Amino acid sequence: MKKKVLTLICSAVMLFGLSACGDKVETAQTQDTATTQESKPAIDISAATLMSDGVLNVGCEVGYPPFEDFAEDGTTPKGYDVDIITAVADKLGLKVNIINTAWDGIFAGIGVNYDVVCSAVTITPERQETMIFSTPYINNYQAVVLLKDDSKQVNSFNDLDGMSIALQKETTSDILMSDYKSTGTIDIQIVANEKVTSCFTQLQNGEVDAVVVDSTVADGYINSSDAFKIVYEDQSEPEQFGIAMAPGNEGLQAAINQALKELEDEGFIKETYDYWFGAAQ
Amino acid sequence: MKKAELKKHSGKIITAAVIILICIILGILKPGREALMTQTSPEMQKMIDADANSTRKRVTVTYNSLFIINYASLSTSGANVMSERYVGFLGKVYPADEGAMKVVGQMVNYTYRMLGVGENLMHGAKLTITLTTLTVLFGVLLGTLLALGKISKKKILSKLSGAYIFFFRGTPLLIQIFVVYFTVPGIFGFAWRDLFGVNDAEAVYKGAFVAALIAFALNSGAYCAEIVRSAIQSIDKGQFEAAKALGMSYGQTMTRIIIPQSIRRMIPNVSNEFIMVLKDASLVFAISLMDITTVSKNIMTSEGSYLVFIPALVIYLVITAFFGFIFDKIEKKFSVYE
Repeated sequence: MKKKVLTLICSAVMLFGLSACGDKVETAQTQDTATTQESKPAIDISAATLMSDGVLNVGCEVGYPPFEDFAEDGTTPKGYDVDIITAVADKLGLKVNIINTAWDGIFAGIGVNYDVVCSAVTITPERQETMIFSTPYINNYQAVVLLKDDSKQVNSFNDLDGMSIALQKETTSDILMSDYKSTGTIDIQIVANEKVTSCFTQLQNGEVDAVVVDSTVADGYINSSDAFKIVYEDQSEPEQFGIAMAPGNEGLQAAINQALKELEDEGFIKETYDYWFGAAQ
Repeated sequence: MKKAELKKHSGKIITAAVIILICIILGILKPGREALMTQTSPEMQKMIDADANSTRKRVTVTYNSLFIINYASLSTSGANVMSERYVGFLGKVYPADEGAMKVVGQMVNYTYRMLGVGENLMHGAKLTITLTTLTVLFGVLLGTLLALGKISKKKILSKLSGAYIFFFRGTPLLIQIFVVYFTVPGIFGFAWRDLFGVNDAEAVYKGAFVAALIAFALNSGAYCAEIVRSAIQSIDKGQFEAAKALGMSYGQTMTRIIIPQSIRRMIPNVSNEFIMVLKDASLVFAISLMDITTVSKNIMTSEGSYLVFIPALVIYLVITAFFGFIFDKIEKKFSVYE
């Protein structure tokens, strides 16, 4: 999934572009807040297996904005995942050490090169057979985007019947919509593009009626442009991103879940989401 | 055709006739759609029946009939994933879920999709051939005008033609496509699909095709202009002088003497340009059209089958061979002028 979404997110970030880079200072502040809260007793991690004392080694494919990307200096990782895992580590009383690694074979390194992988990893049944996951820290849906002044009612994908839909090639959106079309559920014209930006330009120019896209990306567009609106999100089949750990490390899993829950309760996760993805989740 | 010539070609003609005859027989003998569909397993049939009243259908039925062989597949999406594939050939139906028959089935399916059979004109090989042929046609026409402009004695005309050629040869075709499809309608506030009306479901593709054709033709015109110019200027100066001595006007000299001779000299280069455009046609991926290359790339990424590139190469070679043959014929026809 990740590879497929990669270009999607890249394009989304092109939109955030300057604002995301320019606000590096603000990111640091967010992290500072998290550090000050750490004055409370840290979550017990005695049951967890860690590779080195006092450090949480994180495998991450840095280069997948806005989830993870290098700041302009080319060495400091930044992004949604980076903020989340830093805050989690703070809760556990650990320092974060992000290890940049290639996506191919990233999971083979769990327990060898790093303790966890936090790199926009979709939780799938296949993956759950070989590793364990934290509770999801972000949800991604398939969303339908229309022009703002369009009065069409879309309450399900079936309502797209007869429309021309732009989407990005080889993504979850493509697979889903192609399935709706090939099974004869609805009759749509699928306009598949290499880049998600092309989809939105086509929508704006009036070449297509709607765009079907990941909700995280859609949120980014809605946030940065007044021209679009999200009319439908398919809540039935969310894709969830989790932190991956080695099987047998349930101690760490429990600690991380506890930390994520606290962060959720404090509103940190929502705040971070809004910061990186714009519109509210 | 002369008798001697006929004799020389008789071997080829007979071979071709035999191949066509065999294909026709194989085509008649292949099992029909019904035969392939009755192979369906009870579980799959249950799914199909359930779909009839469902708002979210789950079964995808594919049926590809390709001249001498056909292929059918049934696959489901969702939690209950099933798939069944069949190949029909020579009056028999073979299951194609594994082994050699699976590869045969895939080949039929991929070739079918790349040729764009059963799709609209804006798909697969049909798109590639239509776009290339029209592009070169318009390109040569535009190129001839530009070439005449460039060698014209009128300073403004010559400068304008030169500027046009400089611009379109000096910028990438991909960006020109983007500009025609995205920038121009964006600035002037129209949509390409509006050319075909709201009720035309395929208007999006047709609109994109028109935009692509405009970009390709404008671009090809610049290249063809240089081809035509070099061909015209390669004709001996003495012919201009002779025509002038006979009292012919510039227009007469061009249309009656120079251009007919230069066509033969253009053909090899135009043929070259044709083949270049044929492959450049894959750039239409940028504006949501699917030519042979895009379809094969899509199949590769979605099914992970590297075999798809073999039929893709064969399709390209067949197209090139066919048009190469035509260009050869045209060249022979025009060589009588020299």
